[in-house]
Order: sequence, then structure tokens, then C-alpha cells
Amino acid sequence: MRRPGAQLAMTAVLLVLGFLVVVQLRAQSAGSALDARSTEELTTLVGNLNTRNDQLRAEVARLETNLAGVVADRQTGRSSVDKLREDVARIRAWAGVDAVIGSGIRLSVRGPLGAAAAADLLNELRNAGAEAVAVADVRLVPGVAISGEPSALKVGGTPLGDPFQISAIGRSEVLSGSLSRMGGILARLAATDPDVAITVTPLERMTMPASSFSLIPAHGTPTL
Amino acid sequence: MSALAPRIRAIPSWQITLGAALLVLGFLIATQFRAEEPRVRYTTLERGPLVATALELQAGQEALKARILALNEAITTELSGGEGDATLIAQLTDEHEDARLAAGLIAVEGPGLVLQIEDADGPLPPGVGEADLRVSGRDIRTVVDQLWLAGAEAVAVNGERIVGPTAVLEIGGSILVNSAYLTPPYQVAAIGEPGLYDRLTSEPGFARFLTDRAAGAGIRLSVAEPGTVHVPAYAGSVVLRYGRPEEGA
Repeated sequence: MRRPGAQLAMTAVLLVLGFLVVVQLRAQSAGSALDARSTEELTTLVGNLNTRNDQLRAEVARLETNLAGVVADRQTGRSSVDKLREDVARIRAWAGVDAVIGSGIRLSVRGPLGAAAAADLLNELRNAGAEAVAVADVRLVPGVAISGEPSALKVGGTPLGDPFQISAIGRSEVLSGSLSRMGGILARLAATDPDVAITVTPLERMTMPASSFSLIPAHGTPTL
Repeated sequence: MSALAPRIRAIPSWQITLGAALLVLGFLIATQFRAEEPRVRYTTLERGPLVATALELQAGQEALKARILALNEAITTELSGGEGDATLIAQLTDEHEDARLAAGLIAVEGPGLVLQIEDADGPLPPGVGEADLRVSGRDIRTVVDQLWLAGAEAVAVNGERIVGPTAVLEIGGSILVNSAYLTPPYQVAAIGEPGLYDRLTSEPGFARFLTDRAAGAGIRLSVAEPGTVHVPAYAGSVVLRYGRPEEGA
């Protein structure tokens, strides 16, 4: 390749080639999963993250107040027994180790609902802020799931009757509103499972049973 | 053929090199154009700041979670070292530790498995829609539920511990667990009695998942069984606002 024209053409092509390789590599590494989301999806995502961060900030504030109180008690020689008892009761109730009393909603489910659809329904309740959920008096805790075929569902190994009840403690208007909103889970189920009938009843007071499952890991050990 | 060989040999080597370079150049330009497509589709003035805000909020969330874990530890330490009947405090401290362990507020490690779930990357199988190629929130919930049924004791998805009130939410193609945005691939870590994977694969619901989603839609699933699996603690609100412990519980 002795002709200067050919050398020039070759140099130009290699330059563009190098530039494009770099651009491509940068695009690949910087490409986030968020890049492919629409503006509407991003707005919803930001809204969810904002809500969650507000909840976390509130929890940080609560814990900081709690810690300041505990430290003050210790400095003044006040017993920490009551605070410990209170904290144990709060965590056990939240975890499902102990029964809980509160307000919320009760769903009556009649008909051949599938396990996946039932799991969708429970997920919607949790997403709407349910603090505790039970299916036919079986408290939903880690380790408990719905299984089986329609009309022969089980929860945590316990067979469900027809109809069966789902109870959820939380803000009743938010819980029922989330289920019955336009395009929500109840509307979707009415379209996909027309033989299933679900009724929602707000309750001022209900008791959520304690879990009968052991929640202390038998094979996992605590770590820092 | 015999007449072609001398003609090929007569082509100057720089022309062959240039031809090859132009071929690669064409390929790269085509790839670049294809890669730009989805972004062009969604390009608006708001998108850039929205992506930046989402990433900023996610980073802020990580910092808040770390702060919650640190505060929980500090409170536990202070309470266990507090004033009062030493025997009673020791007993309550043990109960406190057990309650936190049961609630998923303490990280655990032990035998188990890690399942990695990724979007399909092959061609669109017949009868499968474009959206079916992506890992969905329902896929994650199915896998978690099947792990519970197989006897898992503790489960986390991309480091988010699954606890009683955990919801798995899907917005477009993005998955949120405990309202934390997860970046694919999704790694589901589970601790349980040895043999967890064998029990998982014998669950009818998991077999159906493999048939419908892995074999049917091409969702990629891989499993690792390291000696020790780590499942982090839940970092979030542990407060009942609409309920309270039953008296005498």
C-alpha cells in the first residue's frame, strides 16, 4: 500500500471504526435497565421509591427517638425492663409470632380460584399496606404459601374450603380501594376467573391469629 | 475456479484489509442504530431527570436502610445492658433476639441455594408475546412461594429479605421488592435444610414454572449451591399502625 490516497482512506476508515467501537462499548456499559422505561413507568417508579423512602425516614426518626429514650433511661438508672417487654411484644406481633387485633378488611372467596391468582390477590393486599394477613385463620408469614389446584387449594398445608376467608389488617379504605380500583386485581379476576366471586367487607375490629409455624431458622445461623 | 485464484491473488492486500474494515464498520453502524431504537422511542424532556431521580432515591434508600440496621443494633445493645433485674433483663434480651430473628431483622447464613433468573435472550418462540420474554413480578413471587413450599427458612431477592408484609411489585418491566427497585439479573437466595433444590424441583408449582416460563418462554434460570448462603436482614418499618398485640399474647 504505497499510494497515499489508499493510506488516507485506510486511516479514515480505521479512525471511524475505533470511534464506533468506543461508542458501542460505552453505550453497553452505561445502559441501565431504566433506559428502556417509558416516562409513565419512570414516574410511577419514582413515586414508589419516594413513598418507601418517606417510610424509611419515619422509621429512622422513630428509632432515633427510641434510642435516645433508652440511653436517657440508662443514664438516669431507670429500668429497661418495660421498654424491652414493649419492644419484644411489638416485634413478635409484627412478625406473626403473636396474635394481633386491629381494623381492616375481610374477603370472602367463593369458586375455583387458582393458586397463582390467590397469590396475586395476597400480593395486592401487601402492596396496599396490609400489616398482617391470614387465610382461613392461617397467618401468612415467611414459609407459608398457597398451593394446590383450583377448588383444592391449601395454605401452609391446610386445605381451604369453599368459600374461604382472607383477613387483612390495615387501613380498610386503602385496602379495599386498591383491590376494587378500575383495572385492579378484582376487575382482572372477574375477567379471567368468571366463576370466582369475591366480596370485600371492612371490619372495625378483627383478631389475626398467631402463626403456628416456627419462625426461628433451624438451619440458618445469625450473622452480623 | 482455476482462473479465479490468480485474480484473487492479484488483489492488493490493502484492498482486502480495507474491505474487511468497511465490513466491520457497517456492522457497528447497524448495531449502533439498533441500540438507539428504544431510547429514541421514549425520548422526552422529562426522562433524563426521572432516571437520575430514581437512581438518586435508590441510593438514598440504601443509606436509610443501613442507618435502620445500625440503630436497631444500638437499641438492642443499650436495652440488654440496661438497669434492672439482671436475670429478667437477660431473659428478655434472649426473647428480644429470638423475636428479631423470627421477624427477619437479623441476617442469617447457612446451607441453601441461589437461583438466578434472567430475561429470555433467544428468538421469540411461537405463541409467546414480547412481554413474556421478561422476568415478571409474578415469576419472582412464584419462585419465592415454591421455595417456601420446599422448606426454605429465609429468602432474599437481590438482597431484599422477604418478610410477612413483603410485596413484589412490577412497574412496566421493573421489579420492586419491599419497594426497592431491583436491577436484573434477579438472584433469589434461600436457606434451608440440605437438599432444598431437590425438594424444589419436586414441587408441582415449580415444575409448571419450568415448563411454562423456562422451557416455554425461554426465561433463563440457573442454580448455584454454595457451601454457605447469606440472607441479609430486613431493613424497614416494623410498626403496626392499624393493629396491636393481643392482650395476654
